[in-house]
Amino acid sequence: MSLNSSSITQADVAPKQPLLRLDAVGKTFGTHVVLEDIDLSLAAGEVVAIIGPSGSGKSTLLRCINQLEPPTTGRVTIGDTTIEAGHTPTRRELMVLRRSIGMVFQSFNLFPHLTVLRNVSLAQERVMGRTREQADAVSMQLLARVGLADKAQQFPSRCSGGQQQRIAIARALALDPQIMLFDEPTSALDPELGLEVLSVMRELAEGGMTMIVVTHEMRFAENVSDRVIIMADGRIVEQGPSGTVMRNPQTERAQRFLHAVKDR
Amino acid sequence: MTQDMLLTMVSGVPWTIALTAVALLIGVVLGIPLCAMRMSKLVVLRMVANTLILTLRAIPPIVWLFFIFFGLDTGYVSLNPFQAAAIGLGLITAANMAEIYRGAMSAIHSGQSEASMALGLSTYHRFFDVLGPQLFRVALPSAASYAIGLLKDSAIASTIGVHEIAFEASHVSQRTFRGLDVYAVAGLLYILLSLPIAWASRWADLHLRARVAR
Repeated sequence: MSLNSSSITQADVAPKQPLLRLDAVGKTFGTHVVLEDIDLSLAAGEVVAIIGPSGSGKSTLLRCINQLEPPTTGRVTIGDTTIEAGHTPTRRELMVLRRSIGMVFQSFNLFPHLTVLRNVSLAQERVMGRTREQADAVSMQLLARVGLADKAQQFPSRCSGGQQQRIAIARALALDPQIMLFDEPTSALDPELGLEVLSVMRELAEGGMTMIVVTHEMRFAENVSDRVIIMADGRIVEQGPSGTVMRNPQTERAQRFLHAVKDR
Repeated sequence: MTQDMLLTMVSGVPWTIALTAVALLIGVVLGIPLCAMRMSKLVVLRMVANTLILTLRAIPPIVWLFFIFFGLDTGYVSLNPFQAAAIGLGLITAANMAEIYRGAMSAIHSGQSEASMALGLSTYHRFFDVLGPQLFRVALPSAASYAIGLLKDSAIASTIGVHEIAFEASHVSQRTFRGLDVYAVAGLLYILLSLPIAWASRWADLHLRARVAR
C-alpha cells in the first residue's frame, strides 16, 4: 500500500489527474461566511503556498480539506473518494481521507504524555496495523530524517518548539500520506527555530511530497512553492506560479497584501 | 478507654475502607459513560445525563441510602446494608466523577483531539490513547479530594447499620456512656485513613506532572 502510493506520487500520474480537488467549497459559521466558493486542484508533487491576511480563511480551508471542519457547501475529492458537503462522511471515507492527508498544526499538538517515539508510532499501530516493532523502526528512520533520533525516548516537554514541530512532521509522515497540510507551522516559533522547520519542509518538497502550506513566510512561498494562492475575505483573490504572483501580482487586493508584507 | 473499646472501633476500619473503595470504584467507572452522555452531541442523551447528575447530587446521601435500603427492599430485591450503602454512595460518586471528568476534559487543549482525528485515530483510540491518560492526570487532584470527602461521608452508612467506624463508635459510646474520648478516637481513625490518600495523590501528581506539562 505504502510502496504503491509513494511510487504513484512521484511521476507516473499525468499532471492532468489531480490528487486533490475542491469544488465550490464554502464554510459558514452561523451567518458568518468564512470561506466562499473555493475551487482548487492539486497535482501530485505540487507544493502550494496559501498566503493572505489573518482571518482570510486560510486555516479554515486547510481544515475543510481533511474535514476537521466540515465544509457547508461543495465537495472534496481525493483519489476516488469524494466527500460532499451536507452528507456526513462515513467512517470509512474519513479514514481514507485522513490516512491520505497528513497535517501539521501551528501549535504542534504533540501528545505530552507519550515519548517522542510513541508520538510517531501510535497512529501507525492503531491506524495502519503495524506491530510495535515495525512502527518503532519506521519512527526511528523518520526521526533521523528530521534530525531528532537522539530525542526518541524524551517527552515532548523536553524539546524546543522547533524540535516539537519537526517531531510533529515526522508523526504525520509516519502514515505515508499522499498530501501534507501545514497550518502556519512556524508562526508559534521564533525565527531561528522556524528556520529548522522550514528546512525540513524544503527537503520534503524537494523529495516530491505534495504539500499545501498556509504560511506567513513569504520567502518560503516564493522560493519553495510551485504555486501561490492569495486569499482575502474567504476567497481566492489571486493564484499562479509563485514567481509571477509574488513579484507581479495582478489584482489590487493581492498587490495591497504583498506590499504590506514585502519586507518579511 | 479500654483495649476492648479500642479494638471494637478499629474493627470498623475495614468496613469504612471497603465501602469507600467500592463506592469509589463504581463512581470512577460509571462516571465515564455518564460524562460521555453529558458531553454527547445528542440532545436526548445530554438531557438524560443532566437529569441523572442533578438528581444524584441534589438529594442528600442519607436520603438516597434510606431510599435504596428501605425503599427498594420490597421482596424482589434484597440488599444488605453494605450493598445498599455501596450502591447509593457509588451512584452519587458517579455523578460527581462525571462532572470532574468534564472539567478535566475542558482543561485538555482541543488540539489534542484534532491531532488525533487528523491522524485517523478512531474515537476509541482517541479516548483511550490520547485523551484518557491526560484526563486521568488532570482529574487526579479533584478526584483525590472527592475520595477523602467520600471516606468521611461513608459514616452515614452507620444509619442503615453498616458496621463501619462511626457505627462502632456510636455503639461503644452508647454501651459505656462515654462520648468525648470515643468520638475523638473515631476522628483520629478518619484522619489516619485520609492521610495516605492525600500523600498518594500528591506523589502521583508530582510524578505525572512532567509528562503533561506543555
